[in-house]
Amino acid sequence: MFLINCPFCGEREQSEFKAGGEAHIERPKQPTELSDDEWAEFLFMRKNIKGVQFERWNHAHGCRKWFNIARDTSNDQIKAVYKMGQKPPVK
Amino acid sequence: MLNYNQPIKDQKSYQGLQISEINPIMKLIIRGKKRDFLSAVGKSLEMVLPTKANTSTQSEKLTALWLSPDEWMIFSNNALEEKTNTYDTETLLNKNICNLNLGAVTDVTDQYVRISLKGDKIYDLFQTGSPFNFNEFKQKIGSVTQTIIAKVDVIIHNQNQNEVNLFVRRSFSEHLFSWMDDSASRL
Repeated sequence: MFLINCPFCGEREQSEFKAGGEAHIERPKQPTELSDDEWAEFLFMRKNIKGVQFERWNHAHGCRKWFNIARDTSNDQIKAVYKMGQKPPVK
Repeated sequence: MLNYNQPIKDQKSYQGLQISEINPIMKLIIRGKKRDFLSAVGKSLEMVLPTKANTSTQSEKLTALWLSPDEWMIFSNNALEEKTNTYDTETLLNKNICNLNLGAVTDVTDQYVRISLKGDKIYDLFQTGSPFNFNEFKQKIGSVTQTIIAKVDVIIHNQNQNEVNLFVRRSFSEHLFSWMDDSASRL
């Protein structure tokens, strides 16, 4: 359990949020030209690192807006919260 | 509001806490992002929409709650005099907003139930089932929050000192009401 600072509503408890997986995965511009392996790579393969990870979160039980978080997966420490479309802060 | 079956039939009273449903109340959700949208709503309703997070504004007849950067709930301050399915405010907003493609207006009158809580033990009750920190909320009259109580999504509006409006989806209202009744009996 931890607190997340929603960029729209302010600090709220984690149970109000839903995690949306890894952030900044770009959809291939020409999906039809990809091989099955490359497509699977885009679709399924996610990093699962110990350390700072960039993730999408949704304030599901609040303002229902999506935003990004840089979270340290080893201790749930949130290094940065930034809006959708913004570049990730440098580590 | 026609053929409306009230989901909550009784009102509960404890020492320092009264809980009851208020109806019929008109409720609308309006959504829009453009600056024209905000000014069109302002002109139509003669009130300013709150743009600051977790706040509300009030006019003589209506209250507007901030729900998200592009979403507001508007409800009538007083119970409507007659049962109807058409509301002047909605017709007006449809004309000035939807027809001009500035935003969306949705009638949620029958979707949300407005429960009124009064007394000095409101926040003791909320504390038993909500992860939200009400310390600042209860100091500021007019503050709004969307959070969870007993795993049910609610919108809470601090109307006045010791007077709170709680909006809950109709299908959850009966359960939440009985949960609050049970919880309040053990405060």
